[in-house]
Amino acid sequence: MRLGYTLFCLAALVITFGLEGILRTGLFRDRRYWITLGIVAFFQVLVDGWLTCRPIVTYAPAQFSGLRFGCPPSRLFRGEGMPLEDLLFGFAMITQGLMWWQWWGRRLDTPP
Amino acid sequence: MGNFEYLALLGLCLAVTLPLEAVLHVGVYRQRRRLLSCIGCVAAVFISWDLIGARLGHWGYNPTYVTGLRVAGLPVEEYLFFVVVPLCAILAFEAVCATLGDVSNWLTARRKRLRERIRR
Repeated sequence: MRLGYTLFCLAALVITFGLEGILRTGLFRDRRYWITLGIVAFFQVLVDGWLTCRPIVTYAPAQFSGLRFGCPPSRLFRGEGMPLEDLLFGFAMITQGLMWWQWWGRRLDTPP
Repeated sequence: MGNFEYLALLGLCLAVTLPLEAVLHVGVYRQRRRLLSCIGCVAAVFISWDLIGARLGHWGYNPTYVTGLRVAGLPVEEYLFFVVVPLCAILAFEAVCATLGDVSNWLTARRKRLRERIRR
């Protein structure tokens, strides 16, 4: 199978929005969430860039779109950079993390 | 740094976000039950994905930069990644919440002062 990672990322998006349908945290209507997402995305490009440019993590070219953020020209970097799909992966993980954070916060706050 | 580079990168993430707890006092580390429950929920899903992805050959790890300790075929660093990254995101979120709260308090106070000045 080709584009496996791409498909998994699209599934992760669906699961993320589905999870909000179940947990109802209101995160997507919260300005603070979108600001956080912007901040985290910036740092993700730095950290994930380092991971994929060194490279510490490598990707099978057939399993993603082939679209990548490049790497700064330097002898430090022998990798090819962060796949576009990683942004979707990051979005899904961060969003689900914050959803659970809000959900557990509410749940542990209210005594049964 | 060699084999410890991935670990060091994760350590750096924790170090960079630590002031949010220590200086801004967001209190994320103090809410131990909430934090553990939350990270448990996210990590379970994304570690499963990582295991499947690695097994299907979607990605791999460069032996030069990991310690070589593996659990179920994944480098231990990878497990820590799914703890460290959500933790950093939560710290960032709580920092945004705290800062926006301060900004809006400051704006309210300023508006009140202005209104009083106009009245006088």
